Amino acid sequence: MRGQALAAVAGGGAVAAALPFLLDDFLLSLALSCLMYVALASSWAMFSGATRYVSLGTAAFFGLGAYVSAWTVATAPWPVVVAGGALLAAAFAGLAGLAILHLRGTYFAVLTFGLSELTRHAVTYGEKQYAGTVGRVLTAAPSSRTVYFTVLVIALAAVVVAIVVRGSRFGLALLGIGADEQRAQTLGVPTRGVKVAGFALSAAFAGAAGAAMAVRWTYIDPMAVFNPFIGLQTVLIAIVGGPLSLTGPLLAALVFSLLAELLRLQFPYAYLIALGLLLIVAVLYLPHGLAGLWQGRARAGRPAEAR
Amino acid sequence: MTPPALAARAVVVRFGGLTAVDGVDLEIEDRTLVGIIGPNGAGKTTFFNALSGLVTPASGRLAVGGVDLTGKPAHVFARAGIARTFQTPRVFADMTVAESVRFGLEFAGRHRRAERASLADVPAILDFLGLAGSAALTARAITPARQRLLEIGMALATRPRVLLLDEVAAGLTPAEVESVARLVRRCRDELGLAVVWIEHAVSVLLDAVERVLVLHQGKKLAEGAPSAVARDRGVIEAYLGEGAAEARP
Repeated sequence: MRGQALAAVAGGGAVAAALPFLLDDFLLSLALSCLMYVALASSWAMFSGATRYVSLGTAAFFGLGAYVSAWTVATAPWPVVVAGGALLAAAFAGLAGLAILHLRGTYFAVLTFGLSELTRHAVTYGEKQYAGTVGRVLTAAPSSRTVYFTVLVIALAAVVVAIVVRGSRFGLALLGIGADEQRAQTLGVPTRGVKVAGFALSAAFAGAAGAAMAVRWTYIDPMAVFNPFIGLQTVLIAIVGGPLSLTGPLLAALVFSLLAELLRLQFPYAYLIALGLLLIVAVLYLPHGLAGLWQGRARAGRPAEAR
Repeated sequence: MTPPALAARAVVVRFGGLTAVDGVDLEIEDRTLVGIIGPNGAGKTTFFNALSGLVTPASGRLAVGGVDLTGKPAHVFARAGIARTFQTPRVFADMTVAESVRFGLEFAGRHRRAERASLADVPAILDFLGLAGSAALTARAITPARQRLLEIGMALATRPRVLLLDEVAAGLTPAEVESVARLVRRCRDELGLAVVWIEHAVSVLLDAVERVLVLHQGKKLAEGAPSAVARDRGVIEAYLGEGAAEARP
């Protein structure tokens, strides 16, 4: 099962790696945004899908990564820049997690949303105070091909980590926390540590993606990189795709980033309305997302015991 | 002298202004079967929450095998050998019966030696409970009576030293209650566990245990052999007056 999944990832990765040699710039930028959402949605589902701690904080981690890139890209080697984005996001998520991961449900979701607002304002203030500017121009940016392959590696790593975590004891602990946290704890799961580690690991991918994507935009400001839309779209992709499945968020990331690029320019409102409706439909009727549709048969095939 | 498997000394649990457990002492020796009874709101479940580390006592001490664990989180209690069930079965609805039992083995159970072959692996535990036929079903698909068995199985998978059972017979038919009582005794006799059992159906409990603790308004009202406690004047007034009439057909 795990071997098959990893083989599929390798295949998908090979196809994605060939794209820069086949596609024009416009299509390649579509593919890039696809990969970004694969990374964001897969890593989000790895933690929030399993534990049911719905985080709207992706934008905070993404934005922190982007700013690490803006601060260091001119001086540090590129891999260090991206790793720095991942590390800062993970460290921030770890600290924030210690403070807020005892809250569940809506409270947690609202607080993580607040987290991205908080970081946005903190960075705005810090930049004004110490750099005398709010936005930053990224001049020494690597080539767009480098950026593409970087984001591809991040996306592949996010999917591979999601697969490995799923088959591990750590992944089982995350699932137990999602099913009944207190019960899991009385069965020996160190819930606090597992939650903080999972949240930080998931944030690392958002931070890395932010660091890599920032240079694509050449100019960043807090409004752009801490955009709550990034967090919402990530949640939406994972939930519509199926927060507990591996393939669901992957396919949904593909479909949604295509839709976003194609519809957003021409019919911006129609796109946002469609997103909202899809989220409502998914939450009401597809608790396991679109992935639940094709997994539904297997589930229904399991006989219920006669009462 | 070996220290008791589980010892609670002067445990106090408060919720705001309410003192739910008020200075209760209890010592559980290995291989004993102890019952806890008391009217609704006596603090039985809250006492269990303290014994399993889910709530931290405002004062008092908790020790497992002589090691003080007061204030430690619940997973530390689980790893030290304290296992429990909940009043309403808390099974992992979407996991299969086999996966649910494996969960306990993967966490607290991994840190503990399987002293009995019956707790060696998932099939052995399911056999012990008579649940082998349901192994591949999801927990939500089995009957409530079997969910209670499964919950005991999940607790046993942590390879405990002390098993805390919170009203495992509630809502079961008389025949099912009998079989649960037999299972509880087997946990002590065959697995060598210390078992602490809270039950509302007093008569079943009094028949099964060798020592009983009576809680009333958070305080220990009486403790001793079931026959002696059943004759205790204070107990009869506080609880058994209506409880016994209700429990004995």
